[in-house]
Amino acid sequence: MDPRKRILIIDDDPDYVDGMKAILEKADYEVEAAYNPKDGFKALESKPYDLLLLDIMMGRGAEGVMVARKINKDPELRKIPVLIITGIREQMAFLFPGQPVHPRFLPTDELLEKPVDPNLLLEKVSALLKMAEEKEA
Amino acid sequence: MADTITFSQEISNLMYAAHGSPLNNCIQCGTCSGTCPAVEFMDQTPRRLIGMINADLKEDVLDANTSWVCASCYHCTVRCPAKIDIAGAMYAVKRYSIWNKTYSDDLVGPVFSETFMKTIVRSGRSYEPILAPTYIFGFGAKEFFQEVQGATKMMLKGRIPVLPSKIKRLKNFQSMIKHIIPMGEEE
Repeated sequence: MDPRKRILIIDDDPDYVDGMKAILEKADYEVEAAYNPKDGFKALESKPYDLLLLDIMMGRGAEGVMVARKINKDPELRKIPVLIITGIREQMAFLFPGQPVHPRFLPTDELLEKPVDPNLLLEKVSALLKMAEEKEA
Repeated sequence: MADTITFSQEISNLMYAAHGSPLNNCIQCGTCSGTCPAVEFMDQTPRRLIGMINADLKEDVLDANTSWVCASCYHCTVRCPAKIDIAGAMYAVKRYSIWNKTYSDDLVGPVFSETFMKTIVRSGRSYEPILAPTYIFGFGAKEFFQEVQGATKMMLKGRIPVLPSKIKRLKNFQSMIKHIIPMGEEE
């Protein structure tokens, strides 16, 4: 039997984490959550994960970007596919009106904007997991 | 299901990168409130606000104007015997209320900081004649007149520029910001 895929969520909004967790657990994934980048990094280093869901606006500002860059520098961690889920446009749009969010800081990533459609979330998650498997094989 | 996190944990997550001790190290000595120059304008003193955060009184903390009145002079942070970064905590509460939109619409603080950020990103410098309208209309007639009079005097003496100035190499500065905040057109 294929063991359940393990997903880590790093997001500081507990309500959002609860929601995504419920969606993903129903689709038979094993989900863990960290509520700040520091705990998230500890979790990433302690156990292997198949996928990371990352928020951008945490801590003092756009600290998710720093997490992503740090992951990118680590030869082991950068193999994990990353799905960035962010509400940054809502929080920072006044600076860049009408301009898109670009996920330029990681080679292995996808980007979704909050609010996320559950079906789209599951679709992206399974697509990323499949991509990572194919890469390994 | 994992345990959900409390309001005090949410606030401490927002200031995990600050250098001070955690908020629950607070011994409620009141040094922060005693030393605060803006305390007379606050609904709740900083000491009480920290106590309220530790007690998870989310609504009361977000209703209080304390964090928005904070002048960020860092006297409390410097003098805190428990070495808590209190000014950092005020910023954490502000971030929480901006990101979760819990502030009331007539509050000056969020609009002011938004306008400030905009002028900085656009020209690299803050420009008072654009900033002032975010708060000046909340004043009474007398204060409004005093503010305008003061500004005019400063402008005549060259302390406030008549036209907004720009920094050198603005393009580099803007691309640096784009590097930090992942938004904008790709080059």
